[in-house]
Amino acid sequence: MLNDLIFIALPYAAIALVLLVTPYRFLSNRLTWSAYSTQFLERKILYWGINPWHYGILPILLAHVLGFAFPGFFKGFLGNQQTLFATESVLFGLGAFALFGVLLLLLRRVNSGMLKRVTFSSDWLVLYLLAFQAGTGIYIGYFMRWGSQWYLHTAVPYLWSIVSFRPQIEYVADLPLAFKLHVACAFLIVAVLPFTKLVHMLYLPVDFLKDPPLLYRWRSNKQ
Amino acid sequence: MDVRAQIVMVFNLDKCIGCHTCSISCKNIWTDRKGAEYMWWNNVETKPGVGYPRQWEDQERFKGGWVVDGKKLKLKAMGKGPTLANMFFQPNMPKIEDYYEPFDFDYGNLAGAKESKDQPVAEAFSQISGKKIEEIQGGPNWDDDLSGSQVYAAKDLNLKDKKVIESYDSMFMQYLPRICNHCLNPACVASCPSRALYKRGEDGIVLVDQEVCKGWRFCTSACPYKKVYFNWNTGKAEKCIFCYPRVETGQCNACAHSCVGRIRYVGVLLYDADAVEAAALKGDAELVEAHRDVILDPRDPEVCRKAKENGISDQWLDAAAASPVYALVKEYRVALPLHPEFRTLPMAYYIPSLSPVLSTWGDTHKLLEHGMIPALETLRVPIGYLASLLSGGNHAVIEEALKKLIAIRVQMRSENLGLPADPQLLADAGLDEAAAKRLYRLFTVAGYNERNVIPPQQREENDPEKRRQEGGFGILKKTRGGGK
Repeated sequence: MLNDLIFIALPYAAIALVLLVTPYRFLSNRLTWSAYSTQFLERKILYWGINPWHYGILPILLAHVLGFAFPGFFKGFLGNQQTLFATESVLFGLGAFALFGVLLLLLRRVNSGMLKRVTFSSDWLVLYLLAFQAGTGIYIGYFMRWGSQWYLHTAVPYLWSIVSFRPQIEYVADLPLAFKLHVACAFLIVAVLPFTKLVHMLYLPVDFLKDPPLLYRWRSNKQ
Repeated sequence: MDVRAQIVMVFNLDKCIGCHTCSISCKNIWTDRKGAEYMWWNNVETKPGVGYPRQWEDQERFKGGWVVDGKKLKLKAMGKGPTLANMFFQPNMPKIEDYYEPFDFDYGNLAGAKESKDQPVAEAFSQISGKKIEEIQGGPNWDDDLSGSQVYAAKDLNLKDKKVIESYDSMFMQYLPRICNHCLNPACVASCPSRALYKRGEDGIVLVDQEVCKGWRFCTSACPYKKVYFNWNTGKAEKCIFCYPRVETGQCNACAHSCVGRIRYVGVLLYDADAVEAAALKGDAELVEAHRDVILDPRDPEVCRKAKENGISDQWLDAAAASPVYALVKEYRVALPLHPEFRTLPMAYYIPSLSPVLSTWGDTHKLLEHGMIPALETLRVPIGYLASLLSGGNHAVIEEALKKLIAIRVQMRSENLGLPADPQLLADAGLDEAAAKRLYRLFTVAGYNERNVIPPQQREENDPEKRRQEGGFGILKKTRGGGK
């Protein structure tokens, strides 16, 4: 029952929400589409929180995505014990870095009077979910060793079965509770993404990289 | 030659009395909102002084504007790669302390306080945290009129010789009203990773698209004039919009319209967009001349032909020809760009001030040289100070403008008093009698329609269906946290 909830109901609900709510929010009111930076009001603690968080979590997120996209390649890549050991160590370090960052961000919101009026329940939700996710990730990394290897043989085929609409939860059903919580929280984060400031991660500055520096807008298409 | 039109404001600093009426009318219309309390799209600074935000001219700290790198321009702050790497924490962004913590007063307490031996007071509270503020630490014009202050004025980066403000015999004071310069080479636009900032092709007004802005904050420090503000409530950048809803219909900006001293002029300039980059690459001392070279003569038939090719209407060309801004900036060369060395080609121009029209104390008797008006050399305002502010350090540019202002004063004074005129003084300043009359008129009695020549944009004729959708303005959709 719990397995069905975490591994079938939750992912499909999350995917449905992202696919439906995100475009709705984009088209209906983009005035709320912002990262809601609070650097203007408090920057000392932010520096030590926001940088470790992003620089820790982005490579880890990328590693999860790449492992999902190219499992065959990474199975070979991690076949070598030294490589596996190095990969595990680096990712564990980055994870600890990210956890440190997100905990600091959480404490910062608790302690700063200046931030009270710019902190909404959605900010707390996001911070708690992300801290929980980073925490369970660290726990799994430490107590369930070689995750970068077994991830490719358990979670990845399961995720593929989800996206191909033939859910096969037997890949993951017997894994420990910590793993299940990590997966559940991951889907929760995906589910709340379109409702919170997390939408800021859906933007890649491609135009910025290729455009000339000055941007003009003309009222008509004459020019 | 790529001819474009730009709507431009000129400030006559001699006439600014520092009353802040412009700031208030701007605030009442545009920034009287949650998250925007500390924003002063228009502000007036006392010079010498640190300005708003404090020390905004210090580009070693805020890293605003452009620098020349070999034969290319680059943003002083960082390139595209480092921009992406610094998105999470923007190292150069001004913080709230560089402005001030916006406050209001608890007036309700005056009527609602419990009976006591003491008079109830309206205590100050923070408009951000809501907490009581024991002692207000700053405001938008915190160093108002403190031009002799060792705490504020002495920190003015333009004031090279701090001794000047230490003595009553030599100190001076002027006001500097500032809005967004709507630059030809805007650093804020170039710095934006979301591409939310843009320059309007038709009139050159620089705007932030609130729908596209994601609050990455690079514009706030890239603007060397610190005229892009971060709204802490909506999480987006905002800036002076040159009152475009008014200007589009041929009305004057709120700040200019409400100006008590009538120091502001609004008009059209034609410029060559192809020449902008080359102009910004010039050395500091040549920048003012480079500015003038970019501006084109609206009476030149070739310019008019090219302008029409680019879709500039006859109405706009007529306005460009009648533009008081063109007369002041290019024809008579008395209006100068603010800090041209930031290389954004700012499109707000300042007529330098003679004020106080005094020489230093020891030279008082030399006043008699031109009746009551001191000669350029004995003027109390240090030329170097104005040069640092308005000409990239070029003294000759300032002297040329001041000579003209002095010559006009002497000429008109002798005319009013029936004294013999000194045509040599005018000629030395590069003016003739007609030019002196024209400038005198613009500086003094010119009416609204002479000071402001603003062609309406007739957007109702341009894609009317589209225009109707955009009709009206104001934020109807809710931002996060609401606000009024």
